[in-house]
Amino acid sequence: MNTTTTALEPLFTILSQSYTTLETTFFKIPGSAVVARYVRSSHQNDPGRTVLEVILIIFAIRTLMQSRTRADNSGKHFIKFEEKEIDELVDEWTPEPLGAPLDERELAEINNSPVIVGPTGPKPKLSNGKTVTNLASYNFTGLAGNETIKERSIDTLVRYGLGSCGPPGFYGTQDVHIQLEKDIADFLGTEAAIIYAQAFSTISSVIPAFCKRGDIIIADRGVNFAIQKGLQISRSTIRWYDHNDMKSLEQVLESIEKERRKKKGPLTRRFIVTEGIFDHDGAMSDLPKLVELKVKYKYRLILDESVSFGSVGRTGRGLTELYNVPASQVDMLVGSLANGLTACGGFCAGSNVVVNHQRINGTSFVFSAAMPPLLSVAASEGINILRSTPSILTTLQENVRAVHSILDRADCITIPSHPASPMIHLYVRMPSPQHLLPTTLPSPSMSSTSGKLSNPLSPHSRDPEVFDADLEDRILQDIVEEALAQGVMVTRAKRLRGQELTEVRPSIRLAITSALSKKECEKAASVVKAAFTKVVGKQRR
Amino acid sequence: MAIQPASPTPSIFRKKSTPTLSTAASYLSAVSEADARARAHGGTPNSTPALSLSSSVTSSSEDTVLHEKEESNDDGLVYPKVPPTSEQVFTTVHTEFGHCANDTYRYTSQYNPTRPVKGVPEQDPPYYILLTTYISYLLVICFGHLRDFFGKRLKVADYRHLLAHDGFAALNSDFDSFYTRRLKLRIDDCFSHPVTGVPGRTIVLLDRYSPNYNKTMVPSGGKTRGLNVSSYNYLGFAQSKGGCTDADVESIKRYGLSACGSRRECATLDLHLQAEALVARFLGMEDALISSMGFATNSTVIPALVSKGCLVISDELNHASIRFGVRLSGANVRMFKHNDMKSLEALLREVISQGQPKTHRPWKKILVIVEGLYSMEGTLVKLPEIMELKKKYKFYLFIDEAHSIGALGPHGRGVCDYYNVNPRTVDILMGTFTKSFGAAGGYIAGNRDLINRLRLSGHSGAYAEAMAPPILSQVMASMASIMGITLPRAEKSSPSRGLLVRHSDSTLTITPEEPPAYPGNALASWLPPWMPTPESMCDGSDSRMRLRRLAFNTRYLNRGLRKLGFITYGHDDSPVVPLLLFNPGKMAVFSRMMRTRATPIFVVVVAYPATPLVTSRVRFCLSASHTKEDIDTILQASDEIGDILDLKQGLGERWPLQEIIARAVELVNMEEVP
Repeated sequence: MNTTTTALEPLFTILSQSYTTLETTFFKIPGSAVVARYVRSSHQNDPGRTVLEVILIIFAIRTLMQSRTRADNSGKHFIKFEEKEIDELVDEWTPEPLGAPLDERELAEINNSPVIVGPTGPKPKLSNGKTVTNLASYNFTGLAGNETIKERSIDTLVRYGLGSCGPPGFYGTQDVHIQLEKDIADFLGTEAAIIYAQAFSTISSVIPAFCKRGDIIIADRGVNFAIQKGLQISRSTIRWYDHNDMKSLEQVLESIEKERRKKKGPLTRRFIVTEGIFDHDGAMSDLPKLVELKVKYKYRLILDESVSFGSVGRTGRGLTELYNVPASQVDMLVGSLANGLTACGGFCAGSNVVVNHQRINGTSFVFSAAMPPLLSVAASEGINILRSTPSILTTLQENVRAVHSILDRADCITIPSHPASPMIHLYVRMPSPQHLLPTTLPSPSMSSTSGKLSNPLSPHSRDPEVFDADLEDRILQDIVEEALAQGVMVTRAKRLRGQELTEVRPSIRLAITSALSKKECEKAASVVKAAFTKVVGKQRR
Repeated sequence: MAIQPASPTPSIFRKKSTPTLSTAASYLSAVSEADARARAHGGTPNSTPALSLSSSVTSSSEDTVLHEKEESNDDGLVYPKVPPTSEQVFTTVHTEFGHCANDTYRYTSQYNPTRPVKGVPEQDPPYYILLTTYISYLLVICFGHLRDFFGKRLKVADYRHLLAHDGFAALNSDFDSFYTRRLKLRIDDCFSHPVTGVPGRTIVLLDRYSPNYNKTMVPSGGKTRGLNVSSYNYLGFAQSKGGCTDADVESIKRYGLSACGSRRECATLDLHLQAEALVARFLGMEDALISSMGFATNSTVIPALVSKGCLVISDELNHASIRFGVRLSGANVRMFKHNDMKSLEALLREVISQGQPKTHRPWKKILVIVEGLYSMEGTLVKLPEIMELKKKYKFYLFIDEAHSIGALGPHGRGVCDYYNVNPRTVDILMGTFTKSFGAAGGYIAGNRDLINRLRLSGHSGAYAEAMAPPILSQVMASMASIMGITLPRAEKSSPSRGLLVRHSDSTLTITPEEPPAYPGNALASWLPPWMPTPESMCDGSDSRMRLRRLAFNTRYLNRGLRKLGFITYGHDDSPVVPLLLFNPGKMAVFSRMMRTRATPIFVVVVAYPATPLVTSRVRFCLSASHTKEDIDTILQASDEIGDILDLKQGLGERWPLQEIIARAVELVNMEEVP
């Protein structure tokens, strides 16, 4: 015992010496006396606390020392391999082909779209040399090929060149873009507007610009693909209500409100996302009711007017004009310049705060080149023409009515679209008993009579439509070809089956244009009707 | 340094003795007009008739400076400082595409296989610069929070959008928008400046001022023309005159402005098919598909390539559109250190051996996504090394050539051309038309099965609007111009014509006459029959000039800046040159000083969050349209401002500015800069 003490003697002296030097240097630091006094007194009062504090310090140091990036190889699922084993595994691994070759049906699917030679318009020429009546292209207002627009675009082209050669933030914002934004805002009556270079990428960028993790989005079950992608990117909490059913929306709003009151969580941003005229079936939203609900429950409304802008309302201002709701009531009004104005790109109109926020946070605005100047001039000119020529929309509505009056009477066609919508979807109706096809559409009133609330967590409705998509697709394609043979171009609504959240019922999508006369529309509609009758008749036999 | 009156070679400009009636007529009218103009304002020393003539356009007698009223030439932007000889007649407008006749100011961008791929070593700045950078951020952040704290209590009206009101949660949380409000707003005059006219060699800014510390900007009505080193206009196709514009005008007249719908519904025009075929041939791939927006090309196609059970290995600095697409796809993502092949290989070994997380099942596919040229860093992908790894690890390779296509390689075909790699060994080549082609939109190219698969299941085909006809014609005209066009023999023998308009309308025919091997010329039959094909486009002289001028400008500025002592990033052959500023305060000052010089220069400054916090930078985007004198101007401006702002922190040998300007050609042609 004694020997060990003597052996350790020098060590102790070194320790005590270093302790004293440490102590003196410590007390040399200004303010150190306060710390020392604090430690001493706290230890005196409660020794247990000292232990706790020491443990805390150790824990803090450990946390700091740990690497920031949590690599997977520290996880419990990581298996350690020798280098040679890894080499063997690498040799063994065979990837799937990047893109499997298309089978015959898939190949037919991409080749069945007609090729237009020369300009598109009400009467385009196809690659087989035939001139057809066009009930397929989005040319509601008949502005495609408008000479004034062409002239002004050429004028812009020889002053600005073609491309804008840069994103809006880096000298890509040209005066014509600012003008177009002003034109849209003036046309709709909002404070401001922002333009995107592609309509499809507009809303999928607008939604995640505002909706973040933890925010609540209530969306219609029938929203289009671009919205679905926007919702997916946003990572918000999403609740669904039945397609175009205001009662269902109110129920969902009410249930969320109840939940919130119970939980007393913090106030989060809440949005309702829906479309003006639905891309999937042409149904139209009840905007006044939507606005009423959103005001009542204090939600913000993101309304996609891609189809309805430039196609309904007295001068084509869309749903807000049709229902006489001020556009400022819609918080984010998203529209397309490609459909109604036959230019390209999309826009989001709203308050200054909403628009300016997107200038830094709208992903596809910030990270993409600005729209080519000549196309934004084309859109501006299109708005000009719509303002000054209300007869365009009157003609369009007459044509829509004319087409409806013929197709409504066909017993093998169901039309889910709103009577005023210039985009008309046609479902095939086959009353044969061996098929599960519903003879009538579940109308909004029917689904809510079931009384029970559908599950807002699921994008699928409680009693989904039953249909044989493959069969209907085939029949519809036959109808398209039959109509084409008779000189009318129509198209199936092309959907990415399997990628859409809910299965969309196959349909033929007509786009009525004011560039055709009423007679021509009637004639074309008769051809479509005849094609339906013929093909469905053959199917029955 | 003066342009030597070099012997004019026909490859660069058309001689005035071109025996074309239309050219001669316009030439005469140009002479008389130029003469009249010279008399009208004989004040400027440069406005001799010969000079003004040079900047006039042969194809029309319109105003040289494009509908603008006469501008003075004090800044040397409107007319060349050194008048060209009477032998030289340029077909471009000097403000859009600079006149440069000197054949020594040319270089060919090509990888030298005897030297390893390496960028400029990234240099660290001295510690005091790092320290002051951190301190400035700290200061700004502290003041920002202080102002937020008091502002929210004292000036509620101004902070309304950040506070919950009337039962609505704030639209954007103050935390998310803090950076924008408190840091970016202070220097907002350097961003989103509205412009007008062609974003070519020069660009016209619409002057603006802010009465309320950048909260709102008010246009003051004036305009400023300045040297443009910020637009992505690598080959200088942003022009309002020339073969491409003629093609676009013709296309608008014939096709209008829209295809009215999505490709798979009913908006496939013959032009789309022709353009896709041409793009595939340009790239040396089997097939290609075109999308109407560059961002959407990635964001709508990647989800069709990979899905759950697949792994995407992505460079950490990949573009936002790639991340967007990968997130939509549902595939797993891992990142590797920027352009670090060792990191990539280590990651590959790990993921292949481990398989999918938890289940350890092997991955269905592994897709490595890299960019050809990183626009923030100026770095080039190390393609030869990646190809080696690809052989061993069997992953699929996706190269985003948004910035490199057209801008790199002796034939302008991007990184594959630059490194002399067979493009067919790369699985997917993606790129945009915005940058080198002066158009818009993007493409994906690969083998036929794959592209067909993407046509079927990519989002664009079914839902997005098809590309507009004038954009298609711009793509085709600029691409054909880069390739050079082989005309049918009969037409070749006819006396040279300014604009060859071939036989009028006909239906779509793609004649299979011995297509030249990649990267050869384009056949005239690949283009729409109505497309005008000027001689300079056909013989490839125009594009050769563009490619070689870009390569010269690129190397000259890159090396010049380093010789001046600046810290730059990236590769010598990268047309994007980032110059490091570090301190956030210097960004605004640099940008403003450049803008207010006698010859204004418009630059892009970028900082966090686009770059790491400390490495704020200014980015020069070069173009074939810049002349050597323009680069001299940039170097001189940088030199002066660099002294004032204490930016010259680079190591290595330094040359004085005069020496750099005098020895430019030697500097560019050096294998490596000591």
